[in-house]
Amino acid sequence: MRLDPVTLEIIGNKLGALTEEMCLTLQRTSRSLYVKETADFACALAGPDGTFTAYPRGIGVSGFVGLEVRTAVEQAGPLSPGDVLITNDPYHSGGLATHLTDIQLIEPYFHDGEVIGYGWAFIHCSDIGGRVPSSLSPTNDEIYQEGLRIPPVRLVRAGERVPEVAALLAANSRTPDANEGDLRAMLAALRTGRERLAAVVAAHGADGVRAAHADLVEYSAGKATAALAGLRDGEYRFVDLLDDDAVSPVPVRISVTAHLEGGRLHLDFTGSDPQVAAAFNIASHAGSGRAHAWITTRVLALICTLDPEIPLNGGIIRPITVTAPEGSVVNATAPAAVGIRHATASRVNDALGGALGQAAREVLPAASSGLVVPVVVAEQRATGQNVQVLEPMVGGTGARYGADGVDGRDSGISNLSNNPVETVETEIGVRVLRYALRPDSGGPGRWRGGTGLELSFEVGSDDARLLARGLERLRFRPWGVAGGRSGAPAELVVNEGTPGERRLGKIDVLGLARGDVVTLRTSGAGGYGDPFDRPAEEVLADVRRGVVSVAAARRDYGVAVAVTAHGPAVDEAETGRLRTARPPADRSAEVGPERAAWDAIFDPAPVDRLVAALFRLPAARRHARRVAVYTAVLAALPAGFPAVAATPEEGAAARRVLAAELDRLVAETTDEAGAAGAAG
Amino acid sequence: MTHPSGQRAAAARVGIDVGGTFTDFVLRTGGAAAAVHHKEPSTPHDPALAVARGLRTLLATARLDPADLADITHGTTIGLNAIIQRRGARIALAVTEGYRDILEIGRSRMPSSFDLHAAREEPLVPRDRVVEIPARLDHEGTPARVPDDAELARAAERLAATGADAAAVVVLHGHTDPAFEAALTGRLAALLPDLPLVSSAAVWPEVREYERTLVACLNAYIQPLMSRYFDRLEQLLGEIGVRAPVYIAASNGGSLSLAAARERPIETVLSGPAAGVTAATRLGAAAGTDRIITFDMGGTSSDIAVAVGGEPEFATRTTIGGLPLVLPVVAVGAIGAGGGSVVRVDEHGVLKVGPDSAGADPGPVSYGRGGSRPTVTDCYLATGVIGADTFLGGRMPLDAAAARSALDAVAAASGLDGRGAGTAAGDGAAAGDGAEAGNGAAARRAADGALRIATAGMAVELQKTLAQRGLDPAEFTLVPFGGAGPTHAALLAEEVGVADILVPAAAATFCAMGAADADLRRDLARSLRRPLDAEGAARLGEILAELAGQARAWLAGQGGDPVAEPAVTLAADMSYIGQAHEIRVPIAAEPGGPVPGADALAEAFHVEHERLYGFRDAGAPIRIGTARLAITAPRPTTPAPPVPPGSGPPAPLGERTLLLRGESVRAARYDRAALGAGATLSGPAIVEQTDTTVLVPPGWTAAVDPTGNLRLTRTRP
Repeated sequence: MRLDPVTLEIIGNKLGALTEEMCLTLQRTSRSLYVKETADFACALAGPDGTFTAYPRGIGVSGFVGLEVRTAVEQAGPLSPGDVLITNDPYHSGGLATHLTDIQLIEPYFHDGEVIGYGWAFIHCSDIGGRVPSSLSPTNDEIYQEGLRIPPVRLVRAGERVPEVAALLAANSRTPDANEGDLRAMLAALRTGRERLAAVVAAHGADGVRAAHADLVEYSAGKATAALAGLRDGEYRFVDLLDDDAVSPVPVRISVTAHLEGGRLHLDFTGSDPQVAAAFNIASHAGSGRAHAWITTRVLALICTLDPEIPLNGGIIRPITVTAPEGSVVNATAPAAVGIRHATASRVNDALGGALGQAAREVLPAASSGLVVPVVVAEQRATGQNVQVLEPMVGGTGARYGADGVDGRDSGISNLSNNPVETVETEIGVRVLRYALRPDSGGPGRWRGGTGLELSFEVGSDDARLLARGLERLRFRPWGVAGGRSGAPAELVVNEGTPGERRLGKIDVLGLARGDVVTLRTSGAGGYGDPFDRPAEEVLADVRRGVVSVAAARRDYGVAVAVTAHGPAVDEAETGRLRTARPPADRSAEVGPERAAWDAIFDPAPVDRLVAALFRLPAARRHARRVAVYTAVLAALPAGFPAVAATPEEGAAARRVLAAELDRLVAETTDEAGAAGAAG
Repeated sequence: MTHPSGQRAAAARVGIDVGGTFTDFVLRTGGAAAAVHHKEPSTPHDPALAVARGLRTLLATARLDPADLADITHGTTIGLNAIIQRRGARIALAVTEGYRDILEIGRSRMPSSFDLHAAREEPLVPRDRVVEIPARLDHEGTPARVPDDAELARAAERLAATGADAAAVVVLHGHTDPAFEAALTGRLAALLPDLPLVSSAAVWPEVREYERTLVACLNAYIQPLMSRYFDRLEQLLGEIGVRAPVYIAASNGGSLSLAAARERPIETVLSGPAAGVTAATRLGAAAGTDRIITFDMGGTSSDIAVAVGGEPEFATRTTIGGLPLVLPVVAVGAIGAGGGSVVRVDEHGVLKVGPDSAGADPGPVSYGRGGSRPTVTDCYLATGVIGADTFLGGRMPLDAAAARSALDAVAAASGLDGRGAGTAAGDGAAAGDGAEAGNGAAARRAADGALRIATAGMAVELQKTLAQRGLDPAEFTLVPFGGAGPTHAALLAEEVGVADILVPAAAATFCAMGAADADLRRDLARSLRRPLDAEGAARLGEILAELAGQARAWLAGQGGDPVAEPAVTLAADMSYIGQAHEIRVPIAAEPGGPVPGADALAEAFHVEHERLYGFRDAGAPIRIGTARLAITAPRPTTPAPPVPPGSGPPAPLGERTLLLRGESVRAARYDRAALGAGATLSGPAIVEQTDTTVLVPPGWTAAVDPTGNLRLTRTRP
């Protein structure tokens, strides 16, 4: 450390507060929906090397603390006082931007002619052009469809707005006025940062501030290393699946192997699928070995859980290194579409939790519900289209050693507020019939997984449409651990219990008629530990609260609950009898029958070989080939697989198809590799 | 003092603040008599006991008869503590079908987004005591579902089966027609005559079902407890012969009658801090300052509030016990350390202050009550800011050696003892003072460092708070109170650029004083949520007229002798349609008179929007969200008597060496009680009083004003 322990604490506090004040300025001056409603923005201060050295706590997006501005600054060339850079392109900003709607601004802060830090601000803007309004769609398959790509260029030069850049931006958005408001709010935030930093320099000297940048990062890196050193050293692998990629029914595989050694963590994503022809890719720039925000969110949360006092800055990710195959869904290359990268990040979170949980079984929870679904209804009005978010639907958090999961809330990816039904019903012609916890959805366990949510609404207008982007875990359930059971999968039903009932899978856009009743049930989170070890009185309490039914108490927990005149009570004798016949805690119970059935066909070893072979194909051919292989294998299985079980014969046939497809692919790619090698 | 005549008796007023450790009293008789202060140890098992005991002592000290009292006003944290500790009544909730989980889901956010072990707040009503009723309105106030008698009987049966002591009733969109919910509540009450029921639309008819439900539930939750307390208080006051009316301080900085507080105890939960702000605002106004920042530094934390133009800032979204509260309350925010905040060194050698507090028990190391972790108060002692023999007027001798040895350990662990770990750089804090080596110098340096950290921490929070409102601290006067407020005020002021500090005569009983001075005040609200057009403006007018009627009826029921016409202020929350964020727009209208038309309302909104956000959207349609009305009626007050002028320059009691920001200075020591009006002195100086110590650093002067306030002015930037 360069500074004494008093000065470091004081400057650290001041720089942290400076970034929070930047956020407050941005919040106060912005008019953007994303700022006011979902807090999708952030500000920070970076040191001269581009690493964030101070980051706000409790305001704005927390997860971007590990990003850096260095690449963007280098791309733009030497900066002068009064310059402000703008960029939104993941591929030109070294992953600072993570999709095009996040507009990034960077201002160099000078003192005596030298850069003493960089101010950074971003806002998720309403629209940056592209194929669809709001720019984001899962079915975009190239970044060119997602809007205007802005490499790092000067938005402001020597204190003056650059008119050409302004004109270009305005011409490429459906909401130029709103975007201009966002830019003004960010510029105001950067000004606040500049003024406050000047005050800190005045009080502590430029050398004090330079030393603080370095010390703060070193301090957090030391604390993060100490936190990770508490975990058991070793190598831990976990594989999780996205239900599909929105453009095909084929799941997307996320594989991570965590190597822990003395407080250092290496994450190897080898075995994850090639990037997909949809907007689920993460442009993590992992080639540099850097631990990008969207593939390390869970680790960040783990470190902050183990050391809640750790100052938020780039030092937190110092002990982490990453290997992620170039061209994979977690390290996508241009022009892969990246708009909906948070859906993949949600599954990466689960995979990281599954791997790290093996190193710290009593710290990491089971899988959370793992989805964020903004339920959007669009209706036609005389004045035009009226589009509203009814509720951002999440599920619960996973159970962990010592505690049940949280019912119906999950801040794993973003910590969004819901909308009061009383305001929703004023804004749009729907009647919300039910907005509730979903009973019997939390994964049974010694500690129960959090329940999902249920939203049921009646449509009050003709020609309405439903959008439910981010709907996941319909097919593969959130997993339990240590004998804990999986949570219930998500469900989407129209007119449930009527002759016209429709059970739907993932939807892009669904047309609705007046009087239709839509019911969305989000997945429940995974349980922890054997449910037959859950004390009967805790099961009874859940039955009393109505989050576990009498039938489920008996089936899942071996607890017989009798409904008496004084309410539900445990039938001790019957419970004793039930609990002697404890069902085996096999993998199928932990991960759910669908995942077990899937893995019985798509065994990890051949799939690892399949993924490796796909990566030997030219990048442009991988996605189509992957879909073709899976489609061929699925053709040998019953429709509805894996929810519909395969017979042993069907299973054997499917495995034979997979082996044949794999052999063919391996042969081809070895030839190609050989040919390419010969040609090279 | 003797009783010269009967005329002074009518003016004797008492303010009381019931805290966790002490119950504070202030009695003022008007005329030339000085206020009488008293602190009585609180009796948490039976809080009224301390009130009665202390009142008896207070009256004896003032040589007054209980019958001489004109009124008693008191603030209390009983309701707040019950909510925080979840010790309230066993309550149930009856809610529209489909919304059983209204309290479970809340606004769906987790308290912390980066904590894998975060738990959500404990709901006030567990899920098994929530009963669904097939009753709802649509968003325009039309009944969409009305339960028939059989359905209602079933719901009543289930409510009875919960075994609850009270229940809240909430209908979706209930605020659009409070009569609907009232009728439903009436029908249920007929079936459940022994179960007290609270209708959400009657308590607080504001849109947003979760928040409205919470107001109703919180009210029901603390009502039995508060009623029992009020009963006991009346009984004990009766026993000592007090017949004066009792008022309860409210979270909005005003006060209300005991009867009104029984009905709506939720309005009193944040009364303690609010009363302090009321007192500070009054003090500022009397001293000719209309922009003040209050600074209340107690044992566990420091709180600030802002008042501009004699009116404290209000908040309509605060958090109590992890739950959001939407009632308007004086906006008081925590900014950091208190006197009991613990000073420690983390595993990487960095010095930290708080967030742990040693509280009042065991308290700081120097209290000698078993505390082993040094606190901010120990740092004051080690740096010489407070004296071991003169703290709290000498009533509480401090153990300086114990404080020093605890701080020595801090110095060693952080390298501030000059032996290693840390290295001297930055602004030279660790540069040792060779002459003092081995003589507590390391402990003094650690203490000075900790105070600088605490100050910087408070300063950044204060700056953030003001920046959010677009205010510049340099234009404000700091009004410090609480046990440590006056001690730390100048340090904080220097850090944030405040150059003017007004230290009241009594620091520790300031909240009690504020309670005694509080106006009668009631805030009312009702949501309409409709477009701002001619019809909307007319409806707003109707609702405001209704609210004005309710307010006047309420005021008439408060008793007392109003000394002036009540003031009524009107406002409406409005937004551009589609905006999530509403802004409050004051409405200029005579009480009871016509409300401005739609165009004038729209213009008022545009102007306010422009002031806050720098632009207007002239063509965009506007929505009226919630109508608001506040009524305030001043109660008779007894102004503080003037302080007699001193004779000649003040004489110091002695000198003490202070270590301030690494510099050793000799400070003159004064007795506050001996300073007459007009007395001035220059820093570095220490002014000791029976309930606090005022630090006047180098570069500041202090002068006693005619009402006994000590005004500190920065003379050197």
